[in-house]
Amino acid sequence: MRTMFRRERRLGILVLAPFAAFVALFLVYPTIIVLFKAVTPGGTLGVDALQRAVTGTYRTGFVNSIALSGTSAVIGGVIGILLALTVRSLQRPRWLRPTLDSWSAVASQLGGVPLAFAFIATIGAQGVLTRLLKGIGINASDYGISPTGFWGLVVVYLYFQIPLMFLVMLPAVNGLRSTWREAAAILGASGLRYWRSVGVPILAPSALGGALLLFVNAFTAYATAYVLNPSGALVPLQIRFVLQGNVISGEEDLGNAIVAWVIALLLLSLVAMTLLQRRTLTWTRP
Amino acid sequence: MSTETIVVLAPGPVPVGEPDQASRRSLKPAGALKAAFLIAIALYVAIPMVAMARFAFQNVPVALLSPDKILTGWSLAGLWTAISDPGIIAATRTSLLLVVLAIVLNLALLLPLAIVTEVRSPHLRPILSAITLLPWVIPPIALVVGVAATFRATVPWFLASDYSLVPFYALWAMPFTYRALDAGLRAINARTLYEAARSMGASLGTVIFRVIVPNIGAAIVAAAALTAAMVLGEFAFASLLLKRTLPTEMVNYQRSDPRGGLALALLVMLLTALALGLVVRSLRRRGLDVQTTGL
Repeated sequence: MRTMFRRERRLGILVLAPFAAFVALFLVYPTIIVLFKAVTPGGTLGVDALQRAVTGTYRTGFVNSIALSGTSAVIGGVIGILLALTVRSLQRPRWLRPTLDSWSAVASQLGGVPLAFAFIATIGAQGVLTRLLKGIGINASDYGISPTGFWGLVVVYLYFQIPLMFLVMLPAVNGLRSTWREAAAILGASGLRYWRSVGVPILAPSALGGALLLFVNAFTAYATAYVLNPSGALVPLQIRFVLQGNVISGEEDLGNAIVAWVIALLLLSLVAMTLLQRRTLTWTRP
Repeated sequence: MSTETIVVLAPGPVPVGEPDQASRRSLKPAGALKAAFLIAIALYVAIPMVAMARFAFQNVPVALLSPDKILTGWSLAGLWTAISDPGIIAATRTSLLLVVLAIVLNLALLLPLAIVTEVRSPHLRPILSAITLLPWVIPPIALVVGVAATFRATVPWFLASDYSLVPFYALWAMPFTYRALDAGLRAINARTLYEAARSMGASLGTVIFRVIVPNIGAAIVAAAALTAAMVLGEFAFASLLLKRTLPTEMVNYQRSDPRGGLALALLVMLLTALALGLVVRSLRRRGLDVQTTGL
């Protein structure tokens, strides 16, 4: 028995070691090097590069990226929750729920090249919608609805943000028990009161957590932004700019510093998300 | 993140909220509002796809488009040109190989680990769950800087090969794969199966390959499908390392032939959506709920 145990402990190491080595080599090592270089620009310890990464055009990049991610997270979040709540109480067109589930699974993965192409054909200069709106006297680009405008990007990002929020919210929304609503009604609460005192407080943690996930998702989206406007002032595009050596030499540290800020921002969002999700747990346990 | 929150594979049908009888009666005007909301969403989903299809298959410039020309000029010629382009064919082959290799590497690393953790040391599960979330914190666009700074200088031959993408793709598929496997293992009560098989004298290899793996086939298929979709869509990393995969080649091709490029993108998107949708649906029909968000 004991030899068997020892053999199995060896087995534990046997399966853990390759995984740990793999993650260390391909994920941890490059990341540590970048973070280390970010705080030692030119070989000496200093916050020089970190400071430069958030001034001037790079500051604009961060401001734009945060604004775009935040806006698409809030709008996508609200629509995603509404969608989850709407479908929850709908039973009738039987095909609706499975279709929506499958579509969300696909569309939340859909960021990228094809999506950008689709929207160029829709709201681009030669897009169908642009043309239709012009037909009734509206110049869409005046309102920022073009693949390079802020609201245009928001509209494009929502295409993968809404289904992602829908998927994230579904367990929480399904966890709202109808008995709670009945209990509230018996105690004399109106529909509005029920939502204020029961529904919203219960959904709030997972809604906020979901919104943070959407923020992270939009912040790191590269393909869509690149295809729509390669020279846009967004952080992922600026990373490409620096990486491809389009800046004067000696600026390699700048790329490292930008990445260091990005990782800090994402880490913060995901830690906050995890904490919120832990709160959600209390109510979604079956 | 605790995996308790989102059950990836749950035995039995997904719990669906009971429709509130009371609210249904009192919400007649709200019913119309709901319908309007769903129709608006449907339009938002459909319009870009229709616009894309029109651009790809109708050879009429938007400026000349008028109601009487809606039905003229449709053809699949652009698509044929695109899919017979040698560059596209080579890139497709590369991408499909990357898909297979990434799935194999990913499962080779995670499947034994997930099983051993579940049956032998479940207390390590939260740690593993946290580690597999790391790719969310270090996305392709961030990691590519570190990879360029380290591997390019020390092992240049490594990044020169197309297959250097494999380990990184396996890495970014980890959140999906681990969660699918972990939930699959818990849905079948892997530890009980393990103890039962061991007490009857099965060796560890027998337990893993003849008892556990056949039982979590659905989870493995889901993990593989999500990995494939991820690899076929990944653009940032491949593009910045100057690799010719299907997404990067599609962007190049589209510059010289916008119509064919869009037709190709539409085809790739439809095929991916169809494959992923079929996997999700067939799993649902078997009573398994698949969470595809990778959380």
